[in-house]
Amino acid sequence: MNKELLRELCLINGTSGDEDKVRDNIVSKIKDHCEYRIDPLGNIIAFKKGINRAKNKVMVSAHMDEVGMIVTSVRPDGTLTLSAVGGIDPRVAAGRPVSVGEKGISGVIGSKAVHNMTSEEKNTAPKFGSIYADIGAESREEAEKYVMPGDRVYFRSEFCISMDGFVSGKAIDDRFGCAAMIEMIQSELPYDCFFTFVVQEEVGLRGSRTAAFAVDPDLAIVLESTTAADIPLASGEKRCCELGKGAVVSYMDRSTIYDKELYRLSKQIAAENNIGWQTKSMVAGGNDSGAIHISNGGVRTIAISAPCRYLHSPVCAARLSDLEDCEKLAAAMLEKMCQL
Amino acid sequence: MDLEKTITSLCLAKGVSGDETEAAELALSILKEYTDECYIKNGNVIGHLGIKGKKPHILIDAHIDQIGFVVTHITDDGFLKISDCGGIDRRILSAQQVVIMGKRQVNGVICSIPPHLESDESKVPEMTDICIDVGMSKEQAEQVISPGDKIAFAPHCEKLIGDRICGTSLDDRCGVAAVLRAIDIVKDKTLQCEVTVLFSTQEEVGERGAKIAAFDIDPDIALAVDVSFALTSDDSELKCGKMGKGCMIGFSPVLDRKLSERFRKIAEERDLTYQIEVMSESTGTNADRFSVNRCGAKAVTLSIPLKYMHTPAEVISVSDVENTARLIAAYLEGATE
Repeated sequence: MNKELLRELCLINGTSGDEDKVRDNIVSKIKDHCEYRIDPLGNIIAFKKGINRAKNKVMVSAHMDEVGMIVTSVRPDGTLTLSAVGGIDPRVAAGRPVSVGEKGISGVIGSKAVHNMTSEEKNTAPKFGSIYADIGAESREEAEKYVMPGDRVYFRSEFCISMDGFVSGKAIDDRFGCAAMIEMIQSELPYDCFFTFVVQEEVGLRGSRTAAFAVDPDLAIVLESTTAADIPLASGEKRCCELGKGAVVSYMDRSTIYDKELYRLSKQIAAENNIGWQTKSMVAGGNDSGAIHISNGGVRTIAISAPCRYLHSPVCAARLSDLEDCEKLAAAMLEKMCQL
Repeated sequence: MDLEKTITSLCLAKGVSGDETEAAELALSILKEYTDECYIKNGNVIGHLGIKGKKPHILIDAHIDQIGFVVTHITDDGFLKISDCGGIDRRILSAQQVVIMGKRQVNGVICSIPPHLESDESKVPEMTDICIDVGMSKEQAEQVISPGDKIAFAPHCEKLIGDRICGTSLDDRCGVAAVLRAIDIVKDKTLQCEVTVLFSTQEEVGERGAKIAAFDIDPDIALAVDVSFALTSDDSELKCGKMGKGCMIGFSPVLDRKLSERFRKIAEERDLTYQIEVMSESTGTNADRFSVNRCGAKAVTLSIPLKYMHTPAEVISVSDVENTARLIAAYLEGATE
C-alpha cells in the first residue's frame, strides 16, 4: 500500500453528497490508465482493460464518502446547529476543531466548561440537537457571510503512520478502498475489469445501487473497512475482528448474506498465498454489498475489509499489514472470479 | 511583539501539570528578551524586573501548566491506562488524539467504544474505563512509555473569524502571553517598584507551583492572570463574562477590594474595555494562594474570557489578551509606594 496515497486521500474532505474533491483527486490518478465516466449521482465508473478477456464481468467497488456533519441552521448568536451525515456517535463530536463548508472555515464544536456543569450534566453525553459549532462569529449576520445551512462540517485530525505501520486518522473508511483500487488500476491486470468509486454509502448504500445497475456485473468485490473492537473494553466474540490478523471476510452482516462459495474460496486462496485472513465473530454492520448483491438479477458478491478501530470517529486506527493483506487477497480473488 | 504569534507558539508547546518543561523553556526564552535575571526554579519560570528592594514588590503570575493525563499502567495488549491531571471533561474524550511524553513523544488515540458494544449513546465513560491506543504491543510500549509519563491533547492552534483563536491549551498560555505583552509595553519605561514575573507549575492540580514560588518571592501585591468563562449559548450569564469585552477584573472576599477598584479605575481612565467578575468565595486561581502567602499579600485576578474551557478546542479573542496586557502595563507604570 502506498502510504502517501492513503494519507492524501484520507485528508480530503468528502461526506456523502459532497464527494467532489475526492472524485477529482481519484480521476486525476486513474485517467491515464483506464476508460471512465461519471454517472448522474457522481459515481466514477471505470473500465480497465486487462491482458486477457474475462469470462465473467467482475466489478470492484469502494465508496468515496466519509461520515461527517451538516449545518442545519445559523442561530442568532452566530453559532451553527448540526446534524450527522452517516453514523457518527455524538460522543466523538464535542470539544474538537472542525472545518466548515467549501472554503474550509475553521471552527470548533463547543462544549460548556466542565466547571459549570452539574454532576448530572457531567455524566450525560452530548447529543446532536444540543451540540453546535462556533466559527468565531458574533452574530447570525456575521456567520452568514461565511457559511450557510447545508454546508458540510469535517473533523480536523492529524494523519499519523508510525514506523511499524500503525495508521491513525480520519476517513480510512473507505479511502483505503479507494487507494487500493487506484493502485489496481495503475497496475497491469490479467483480465478486463470494472471499478466503481461510489458516493453516498454512509447514508444508505445509494451510489453503489446505481453503479451496479449500470455495470450489471456477474460478480462483485467490495473493498471496505470494518469495525475492529480489539480493545481492553471488549473480550471474546465482542471484539468482532482484530488488527494485525489480516483481511476480514464476512459470511453475513446486517446488509448481506455473502456468496458461500466466494467466502470459502477467499479463505482457501488466502491460505495458499500466505495472506492474513479472518472473519467477524459477530453479525454486525453492513456495506455496499447490500445494494450490489441484489442489483439487476442478482450479483455474487464478496466484501474484503480492513479491520479498523474507532470507525466513524475523527480518528480511525488500522494496521498497514492488514491493508496490504486486503490488497493481495483482492487481487488474487479478482483473478479467480474473472474465470470462475 | 506579535501577540498572536506569541499566543500560538505558547499554545503549541506541551506542558501538562508536573511536566511543564517544554512550555516553560519556551516562555523563559521569550522572557529573556526583557530581563537577564530570569531562570527556572522547581519548574517555575521566574524573572525579575524593576528596582530590586523598591516597594511595592509586585508579582505577576500566569500558570504555565495545562490539563492532561498521566500513564498509570500498560495493559498486556499494550494499551495505556490513565488518570487525570486537572479537571477533565470525560464526555469529550472518545477518539481524541493525544501525545504521550515518553522517552520519545508517541502519538496515541483515546479509545472509543464502538456502537455494537454500547447501545446507550448517552453514557459517559468512567476514567477507569478510559484507555489509550498507541498501536504497540506491551513490550514495544514499555521501551518508550512508563507509568508516570504525562499525556497531552495533540497540540493544535488556529485562527477563527475575526480575532478569535482556537487552541488546545489557551488556558493559561494566553495568560502567559498577556504577561509577556505587558512587560513588552513597559520595556522602555523605568518602573518605580520591584516586579517579579512568575509562570507557575501545577495550577490545574491545586495551585502548587504558585504556593512555593510565592514563598520565595514574598510579594506585597500579586496579580493572577488566568482565564475565566466566556458566555456560550449553553451556559448561564450569571457565571460568565463576554468574549471580546475585555479583561475580567475579579472582585471576591479573598481578593483585595482596593486593588480590584484600582484596576477598574485604571481601565476607566485609559479607556480600556473591561468587565467585572464577582466571585462569592475563593477564586479557584493562584490568587487564592498568593493572598495567604507568608504574612499575606494583596491579590487580584485578571481573567481573559475563554470559551469551552478544558476541552482541546478552547477559544479566546486576541483583543481581550491585548486589553489585559495594557491594563497590567498601566498599573505597573503607576505603581509606587
